[in-house]
Amino acid sequence: MSTASLSKRGMTRTQKRLHLKNLGNFLLNLPLMMIILVPLIYTISISVMPSDEIYQNHLIPTSVDFVNYVKAFTNPSYSFLRFILNSFIVSTCVMLGQMVTCSMAAFSFSFLEFKGKKFLFLIILATMMVPGEATIIANYLTVSSWGWLDSYQALIVPYLTSAMGIFLLRQNYLTFAKELHEAARLDGCGNWRFLASIVTPLSRPALGALGAYIFLNTWNQYMWPLLVTNSASYRTVQIGISMLYDIDAEALGLMMAGVVIVIVPSLSIFIFMQKQLINGLMAGAVKG
Amino acid sequence: MSSATQRAKAQRKLNAMTPYERIEPYLFLLPALIIFGCFLYYPFIRTLYLSTFLTNKLGQAKVFVGFKNYSDILSSSSFWNSLGVTLQFVLFVALGGLIVGLITSLLTVNKYRGVTFASATYAMPVAIASAAASMAFKMILHPTNGLINILMGTQIGWTTDPSWALFSVSAMTVWLASGINFIFISAGLRNIPAEQYESASIDGAGYWKRLFYITLPALSPTLFFQILINIINAFQSFSQIKLLTQGGPGEATNVIVYAIYRDAFFNFRFGTAAARSVILFLIVLAITVIQFSNEKRSVNY
Repeated sequence: MSTASLSKRGMTRTQKRLHLKNLGNFLLNLPLMMIILVPLIYTISISVMPSDEIYQNHLIPTSVDFVNYVKAFTNPSYSFLRFILNSFIVSTCVMLGQMVTCSMAAFSFSFLEFKGKKFLFLIILATMMVPGEATIIANYLTVSSWGWLDSYQALIVPYLTSAMGIFLLRQNYLTFAKELHEAARLDGCGNWRFLASIVTPLSRPALGALGAYIFLNTWNQYMWPLLVTNSASYRTVQIGISMLYDIDAEALGLMMAGVVIVIVPSLSIFIFMQKQLINGLMAGAVKG
Repeated sequence: MSSATQRAKAQRKLNAMTPYERIEPYLFLLPALIIFGCFLYYPFIRTLYLSTFLTNKLGQAKVFVGFKNYSDILSSSSFWNSLGVTLQFVLFVALGGLIVGLITSLLTVNKYRGVTFASATYAMPVAIASAAASMAFKMILHPTNGLINILMGTQIGWTTDPSWALFSVSAMTVWLASGINFIFISAGLRNIPAEQYESASIDGAGYWKRLFYITLPALSPTLFFQILINIINAFQSFSQIKLLTQGGPGEATNVIVYAIYRDAFFNFRFGTAAARSVILFLIVLAITVIQFSNEKRSVNY
């Protein structure tokens, strides 16, 4: 900044102007920031509000009460720990599985030569045009005819690959020098080892972006888990919170505690992996 | 090197390969292709097939009816209502999301204290699940104890009153979609070359003049791309409808995806549900084609 070279008096004047500018910008941002943040703050506020105050239409609790969180974790009929565990297992498996299948496919498309390469790439890209909701009924029928309803595999296996992941990693692999592959081959390093020990470590940023995006997307899934799970032992968090309402529509505080519990992992990924997540989103925009 | 000699070289390389080296590329593709085959290509064809049949309760095709499922759907007033509701919802969400995204991007394009926090706030809704957000809005829109009615001193049934339900789920979806709009439009804004502004500031153009004569025209490919993404995403919305209104009151919020769900899992009419899915696919396909053809024209790498 040029402020460093200015005289003392000049600095104070610029600082004053900066203060005004900051204040002006703050006031301009305030209304929209409120609209984005208030639903979350209100949810947290209701979740720690004593229940009689909810019905007296308080907006902010007079005393903080964590009883809803205790209930959410200890009541056996809606065991949130189980839902969280299920979502965690499913999201992790989908994330790791997609990273493996997508990097393998992307490797083949970017480093290897074979017949039908263009055609295969095209039919994989074409899957991006089919909205998941359009095939969901046929998928439900398949999975149920295999006896997979209420199981981890029903939640995991259909999502073990994605065109977006293949596309994202291929873009990344294409930036690698072809000579790297040639040199490795001359040294007797096979393709599998080349992918595992050279390409993968060098692609950590792209894999991180993909991983963060997939994990969050799977954690946030609603329609598919709703269709394929019936028993509480395989329900995921998103189905879990929506069930709280069916169990007791009056337990508004409990419902909001559930929402907070489910949002915390999503927000943590957002806060700690914001850059990777946004890169992943940019690449996956078409697929929503 | 001409492309012909290049191709000849590639061909020679292919010929010099051992049998294993020839299959290896396909082995790398195999896991992905198996998953796509079972859960994308096969169900897609099965959906087309089912859409021409009457099915039993288990979803097995029983009686071939040709295009009757389609003609039944297209001649029912319920479908046209559903399509109309979907279009209103999609239009509201696509434009609403775009406007909020544009304003928030413009507010955070310059550097000032707190801009990082503001940007993070505006991007945040991308991380939030639509199901979780729907539950939060169930409370916010609660007829007697919800935030909106308390603040306004009203007792409106935001999700149960036919004249408000569609507006409520649409507004809630705009909140949810604002994050992705902010992220993409901000990226587009930052990509506008600074030189375009320099000449304008010498001419003494004010903020609004710069906005309407330089920023918005330069941003228009981004905005066009984003509105199509919004439309595609909005067409696929389900959780907020399921959790806030169940398609009601009456059929006031019965969007296409919810109608598919209702057809298949309440009425067990998998054939017509499949036909509705095909219609949804065709609509989304048309929008995607517009998007791709536009991308080819306007994006320079």
